[in-house]
Amino acid sequence: MFETRRLRSRIVLQIVLTLLVVPFAFPLVAMVQGSLAGSGWANYTTVLSLPQLPRFFVNSAIVAAGVILIVLACTMTAAFGFSKLSIRGKEIYFWMLLAALTLPEVVLLAPLFATITQIGAYNTLWAVILPLAALQIPFTVLLARNFVDGIPDPLLEAARIDGANTVRTFWHLLLPLTRPIMAAVVVLVFINSWNNFLLPLLFLQTPDQQTVTLVPQFFVGQYNNDQTKVLAAAVLTGLPVVIAYTCLQRFFERGLAAGALK
Amino acid sequence: MHSLTPERRRVDPEPRTEAAADPVTHRRGRGDRRPGLPWILPALIVSVGLLYYCIGYTGFISTLDWDGASPEQTGVGAENFVHMAQDPVFWGAIWHTVVFFVLTFSIQVGLGMAFACLLHSRVHLRTFYKVLIFIPVVLATATTAPAFRQIFAPDGALNGVLSALGLGGLTQAWLANGTTALLIVIFVQVWQSTGVVFVLYYAAIGQIEPEIIEAARLDGAGDLRIIRSLVWPGVRGTTIAIAILSAIGSLKTFDIPYLITQGGPSYATEFLGTQIYRVSVALSQVGYGAALSIVLLVLAITTAIIINAGGRRGGRTDV
Repeated sequence: MFETRRLRSRIVLQIVLTLLVVPFAFPLVAMVQGSLAGSGWANYTTVLSLPQLPRFFVNSAIVAAGVILIVLACTMTAAFGFSKLSIRGKEIYFWMLLAALTLPEVVLLAPLFATITQIGAYNTLWAVILPLAALQIPFTVLLARNFVDGIPDPLLEAARIDGANTVRTFWHLLLPLTRPIMAAVVVLVFINSWNNFLLPLLFLQTPDQQTVTLVPQFFVGQYNNDQTKVLAAAVLTGLPVVIAYTCLQRFFERGLAAGALK
Repeated sequence: MHSLTPERRRVDPEPRTEAAADPVTHRRGRGDRRPGLPWILPALIVSVGLLYYCIGYTGFISTLDWDGASPEQTGVGAENFVHMAQDPVFWGAIWHTVVFFVLTFSIQVGLGMAFACLLHSRVHLRTFYKVLIFIPVVLATATTAPAFRQIFAPDGALNGVLSALGLGGLTQAWLANGTTALLIVIFVQVWQSTGVVFVLYYAAIGQIEPEIIEAARLDGAGDLRIIRSLVWPGVRGTTIAIAILSAIGSLKTFDIPYLITQGGPSYATEFLGTQIYRVSVALSQVGYGAALSIVLLVLAITTAIIINAGGRRGGRTDV
């Protein structure tokens, strides 16, 4: 983009870029540094030796896996139905889904709370999994439908002429063709569920049911606000996503940016 | 994403004999004609069912005076909404949302464009910079909030850096001042979401043909001129999408003020999300919280429609 024929301009660009990145790196550095202040690595061993800690990670993994399964199943079938099958009043249903796209989760707070306590799902992971899935489906269906719309109809017709019924067409033809969008959906849903804070805050009461986003708060109570241990705990909760991201950079960037591609 | 363009659907105009003979497949190019309702039902039940049920329920609660737990619910009509119109905290939250949106949107667009243009140039360590900008996107606010509270604390990292630079006069309790607290909330949001904006612009700029830029350069256009007259109009659609995303995001703001400033000091960083949470959970005024929720919902939908329509109209006059 920028003129880089002279060495001087190349050096200037590199310096400008570095200066612009500093504010992005600074909080990360401060976080790691803060977690090593005081007793150094001992902060981490203290945090890791807490028997409750693995539970938070397991719970978050269950929530993420549950939401991904529900969203993926609902999204791919719905995208297939909306895009390739005949449904009376199809667009009405589609718009009903789209209207929920802008829905802020905090709006659901009171009715969810009332309903969840009534059916006895309070302090169970279902209280987080189901609303999270419901909130993501409108968007993932929009994404996946756009993608499936691009698959040529003759391909599906050919499958049918060869005797494949709708289920077989979906399973053996559509799913393999939609792998890129499924990857995007999985990444998007994983990050959103792993990082969600409000729903666990509202509905998960005891540490044995809580998720990683509640870990820093738990440690504030546990360590009487010993910042170094709280930061060490925070770093540990962030590590899995950072590792996942650096290993699968392209998937993450595509998946999370898919939000704005219409 | 759209490597398979809709044009492909029109590729099949020649009637094949088997297809033409079959009355079911006759209407070609409109997809499979077999009933599809069962296929969309799971999504409709989980999503539309649950969400619309909740919205309806919220609408009902918004007419009540209710603490959320007791069986005693008193219908009060529109009283909650009247109370809202006179509630300075509500108007404060609206104002903070507007300021938050204007600042985060313009800074993100500026930074995102700068990074996208810089990383499309010949620079070293491209992946390294990209990863640094994008890591904040994947981290939960809950994970980074303790770090930000520490950085902006009176004895925190920021004041430490300022003193080390000989700017000790600037040090202060950043989170105790209403204005700086709001600016911190905005900073954290920009820190978190510039990565996405950057990736979007990076992809959009990649779509602009290099020959056009090369031609402009040969005609003597400078870097900034090229960005303003060629790149910026070229990524217009992306900018509108980012506007919608950050407008809706501003209305949804909850995690950052809740975790870093608790909406304070004295409501200076209160947003609709944090106010709904505080009113419904801490104060147990569930009816009033529901009324706020309904207003938030209406604002979110209206905003999306307005920006979408405005973007489309602007697009036509551009061409």
